[in-house]
Amino acid sequence: MRQMEAILETVDLKKYFPVQRGINPFSKSRKFVRAVDGVNMTLWKGTTLAVVGESGCGKTTLARTIALLTKPTSGDVIFNGKSIVNGKTETRVVYRDLQIVFQDPESSLDPNITVGASIGEPLFGLMKWSKETVDNAIKKSLEVVGLPHDIADRLPGQLSGGQKQRVAIARAIGPQPKLVILDEPTSALDASVQAQILRLLLELQKEYSLSYMLITHNIAVAEYLSDFMLVMYSGDVVEYGQTEEIMAKPRHPYTIALISSAPIANPWKRNLLQVDIRGEVPSAINPPTGCKFHPRCPYAESICSQERPTLREISPGRLVACHFVEKTA
Amino acid sequence: MVYATLLRPDEVAPLITVRDLTVNYASRGGAVTALDRVSLDIKENELLGVVGESGCGKSTLALAMIGLLPIPPAQVQNGAIEFKETDLVQLGPTRMREYRGTQIAMIFQEPLSSLNPVYKIGDQIAEAITIKKMREDGYSTVDSEIMQKTHKVVPPGVSKLPRAKRKIKAEIKEEVIASLKLVRIPDPDQVIDRYPFELSGGMRQRVMIAMALSQEPALLIADEPTTALDVTTQAQVLKLMKELMNKVKTSILLITHDLAVACQVADRVAVMYAGDIVETSNVYDLFSKPLHPYTQGLLSCLPTGSKRKIVLKPIPGSVPDLRTPIIGCKYESRCPYAMKSCSEKKPHLVEVEADHKVACYLHG
Repeated sequence: MRQMEAILETVDLKKYFPVQRGINPFSKSRKFVRAVDGVNMTLWKGTTLAVVGESGCGKTTLARTIALLTKPTSGDVIFNGKSIVNGKTETRVVYRDLQIVFQDPESSLDPNITVGASIGEPLFGLMKWSKETVDNAIKKSLEVVGLPHDIADRLPGQLSGGQKQRVAIARAIGPQPKLVILDEPTSALDASVQAQILRLLLELQKEYSLSYMLITHNIAVAEYLSDFMLVMYSGDVVEYGQTEEIMAKPRHPYTIALISSAPIANPWKRNLLQVDIRGEVPSAINPPTGCKFHPRCPYAESICSQERPTLREISPGRLVACHFVEKTA
Repeated sequence: MVYATLLRPDEVAPLITVRDLTVNYASRGGAVTALDRVSLDIKENELLGVVGESGCGKSTLALAMIGLLPIPPAQVQNGAIEFKETDLVQLGPTRMREYRGTQIAMIFQEPLSSLNPVYKIGDQIAEAITIKKMREDGYSTVDSEIMQKTHKVVPPGVSKLPRAKRKIKAEIKEEVIASLKLVRIPDPDQVIDRYPFELSGGMRQRVMIAMALSQEPALLIADEPTTALDVTTQAQVLKLMKELMNKVKTSILLITHDLAVACQVADRVAVMYAGDIVETSNVYDLFSKPLHPYTQGLLSCLPTGSKRKIVLKPIPGSVPDLRTPIIGCKYESRCPYAMKSCSEKKPHLVEVEADHKVACYLHG
């Protein structure tokens, strides 16, 4: 593997949300949802990292914490070589290089202002560009995402779902960021529109050498778009490595279950009917002790319920958090 | 269930036949044709997948088949749904209740909104089982439903107490637990005393399946049953549906937007586009040699590997506005093979091979 430069790193990043038990607001018994429970990850420049997992595994919270939309409970986020949490870097400066595309363009675009104004807003606010430069940049952004110029004068309500997501992408790439966080960018879209957006994202990445952090529950989308993959389960990272390696040979029992549960469009490979996974995702307030996956794991032994496995490197660039990783070899 | 697809289509009599069904929705901008002369049949013990993108009419088809279309604004313009020598379209709302839920059952996308939030799981399944028992005793479905609601005549198996305080009678309770066991709910004797909000999404959908199958329906319509579920749960629920289908001998109509899901479980697949069925085929032929340009386009949109290996070929353009009537093929504006005849007359479904029908002028 050639020497690569990290654009984003997290160091033992934690985000706990307090939950109130009972009706006494002064109750001392505090419990927490451990949405992100100590995540260490690296995103290499110019590559795509897919964060995959099921609902409630903490993937969106991880993205929101990195994007400074919520404050982390502890830990650090290093973006472009600088720590960005706790006001160490001005957020306006951070957002010039870090942009987000949300899942639902319906709610991420202001319905009352025109598409052009939506795309222009970050260019005025973050970049402090002049009116003329911004107008040109809006046109350029629309061109890049394959929309006609006259769409700039329309309201989001007049556009289709795919067009709105293109506008959201145009707005994100307007300030010429280095990293774009894509939070389920295609899950609200139909298959044919999803293909258009995936293709657009690839073209943009090539043209502007963008780095992507892709949050998705769709294994097929993650496999298609990403170079590296981070699998999360109930707030923990259970596996990390190159996408092709993970897809070819998943090692953590949860990754195995997740990949074999994803339907494949091939009637001769009916993997779905062979899947053997018990139970469902555990409660985030009272997660199982030790390895959080142990109640559902076919390889679980007594140590799994007592000791939380740490991420270990099993081969260069491949990390798995499992006590019995050799069993899946 | 491979052998079912290998049979010649004329060897198995269809369980339900939809013929030339046209459904309109009234809207301010004019009538929207949600289904445009749709014909389809489902055979016995078959899992038919109906796939298509949002707005293609797949849910309207399901609602029409179970008699739940919102009329108005919906209106059945023409066509018939033949089920056991009865035309369901011609049945009035009262007679339709003899079929709905009993002969034809349905499960929906969001199980939390289909379960009653204020009754325990056990009571809700017990109600379904009681009604079935009464029907076996010679009461009509409508009568038994009314009796349950008014308490004027106490049906067998139900005590006289108000609903909330009622205890399920022992013999019914056993059946309730058995039906929960059938759908592999862990600890069914505890689950019957829980409320829907206390269960996870996958468990709720299993309860819905248990309730639907307790009536031993001839046809189960599943409208996006796993769309709200996680992938590992989706796999469990689909596997369960497929197993139960063979166990209780029912047919399933699976409505889904996910081609891969249809591909994994269906015996036969119907592809819908803008209110039309454009292609039906057994699942193997559909994926190995799709004939309609839309099916081909849809398949080449699926990410099935790494960006290094495959190039996605998105379908250009977008779905036409269904408020303006289209005389020709609705896919013509996006079709790479469009010819002159395509815009002049609508192509009809033609059987080009055994069990493979397509509505396209490129093929017959």
